[in-house]
Amino acid sequence: MSKKKVMTSTGVEVRHKPLGLRIWNNRGHYIMFLPVFIFVLVLSYWPMLGIRYAFMEYKAGTSPTWAGLVHFNRMFSTDAFWRAFKNTLILSTVKLFLTTFASVVVSIFLNEMGNLFAKKTLQTIIYLPHFMSWAVVASIFTLILSPSNTGMLNGMLRDMGILGAQDRNIYFLGTPSMWRTIFYIINIWKETGWGTIIFLATLSGISPELYEAADIDGATRFQKMRYVTLPALANTIITVLILNLAKVMNLFENVFVLYNAAVYDVSDVISTYIYRMTFTVARPDYGYSTAVGLFKSAVGCVLVLICNWASKKTRGRGIV
Amino acid sequence: MAETKAVYHKKKKKVSLFSIVNYIIFIIIGLIILVPMWKVVVDSFNAVGVYQFKLWPSEFTLDGYKVILGEKGLLRPLVNSFVTTIFGTLLGLVLCTLGGYVLIQFDMPGRNLLAYFLLFTMIFSGGMIPEYLVMRRLGLLNSMWILVIKHGINVSNIVLMRNFFEGIPASLFEAAKIDGCSPMGIFTRIVLPLSKAALASIGLMFAVSVWNDYSTVQIYIQSPDQVNFQYKLRVMIMDGDTPPTAYNVAQTTLYNAGIIAAILPFMILYPFLQKYFVKGVNIGAVKE
Repeated sequence: MSKKKVMTSTGVEVRHKPLGLRIWNNRGHYIMFLPVFIFVLVLSYWPMLGIRYAFMEYKAGTSPTWAGLVHFNRMFSTDAFWRAFKNTLILSTVKLFLTTFASVVVSIFLNEMGNLFAKKTLQTIIYLPHFMSWAVVASIFTLILSPSNTGMLNGMLRDMGILGAQDRNIYFLGTPSMWRTIFYIINIWKETGWGTIIFLATLSGISPELYEAADIDGATRFQKMRYVTLPALANTIITVLILNLAKVMNLFENVFVLYNAAVYDVSDVISTYIYRMTFTVARPDYGYSTAVGLFKSAVGCVLVLICNWASKKTRGRGIV
Repeated sequence: MAETKAVYHKKKKKVSLFSIVNYIIFIIIGLIILVPMWKVVVDSFNAVGVYQFKLWPSEFTLDGYKVILGEKGLLRPLVNSFVTTIFGTLLGLVLCTLGGYVLIQFDMPGRNLLAYFLLFTMIFSGGMIPEYLVMRRLGLLNSMWILVIKHGINVSNIVLMRNFFEGIPASLFEAAKIDGCSPMGIFTRIVLPLSKAALASIGLMFAVSVWNDYSTVQIYIQSPDQVNFQYKLRVMIMDGDTPPTAYNVAQTTLYNAGIIAAILPFMILYPFLQKYFVKGVNIGAVKE
């Protein structure tokens, strides 16, 4: 009759009773978990069974039949797929680095502001765009960048004389060479403020003694930023980058609401590619789009595992 | 003595120069955020539908808002947005508190298994098309309730809730158990009343995500009386689904009034609930 002793995470020692009794004692908890279990099972695990369609011939209106790897062969020899994969990686990572950089800069300036009222006001303002949907943000900027006579940017360019009387209005979102830059700017506009929260939390944790010590050594304000503030932020910056690199493949809504047929070359990402291959064609090939989706999920899964490993290395705990 | 005073003085001057620069940077950042938003507000009240660089409407009108509240094609999506947001938030809170509470039952056999059962869905998913086919099988295509169901279950919010519950002293649970309280009783009488702040933060996260959802509607819903307002707004502006002559109002006035209607509920709540909005990030990310 040796009873196992187990420590809970709170450090309380529990003498384990027989398994059957423990299950019986927790019956209420199992029942409470049931709704969550059912929802996750139906909405997350059931679709996973659908991954088999990636290996099947399954067009709308027919029943699926086994087909092996034909969809993957087709996918890897399709230019549009590789274009989408490349765009996903470029748009996601550049966006991530730009918004993180902007957030760090803004939070350092926020941290240096002595006037509390000004600081709070600016925080309130810069968090605002985060709560707007991508549909709204895209609408705002579509109207501003509109090539019609209501577009603000075209109107301003005309007022300033950059666009002459006989020049046509510029269709900013329809110009491949400008689309990515606009995409990055809009992302920075929307998410920089929200990104500062985590950095400000770190900055408020820096010991004032470090700054006092730097003062005694005669450090200037910029030297203090460079040698005290930035190193303190380094860990948080790495954490934020790792957390978000895991989500690189998940780009959909923000691209979808801003792109159009004229700029597919620079804007089409995996998810939008899947969407168009399925919902904008007369007879969707579910097999092929599932295969592309499986590729996306698999790469995403590998990224999460890599980032989880990196996170454990750098900060001692995983991301999931 | 005199020397230190001089140093102090010199420093103070430097600080004030810096803060002027800092104020200017502050104003610029604030303007970058506010100008596009202010332009939307102005244009939504402006009867003139052509570009003007004005900080105030040149010809004041409420027609844009009247059309949104008066036309069935626009009002219905707005009502749908409110309904789905309320029910989605309620369902989300029920499921994430239940899930979070069960995950802190350290004595429960299979607790880790259930945690992995949830966490695995954060790493891997079936993808857009299998999910679509499941929803079609369930008969939920073209129904706004799909928004409620899809957002109601959110594993990362369950994890946030669990992290919060872990902070409640275990002795409270023990005491209640000794007094003969059932698990459900402990949950409703001890855990939930102690978690008001977390419920507010996570409830707001649910509300924002349902209200702002656009892609779910784009993928799953076509019928015009089931779409939400975000979707309606986007097709109206980007796809030109509303012809300029459809309603008795200038197109840009209507568009901008639509944008305001789409953000107004949270813009009204935001100043009062900012700390709850912000707290959600910190429960999860910088847990030391």
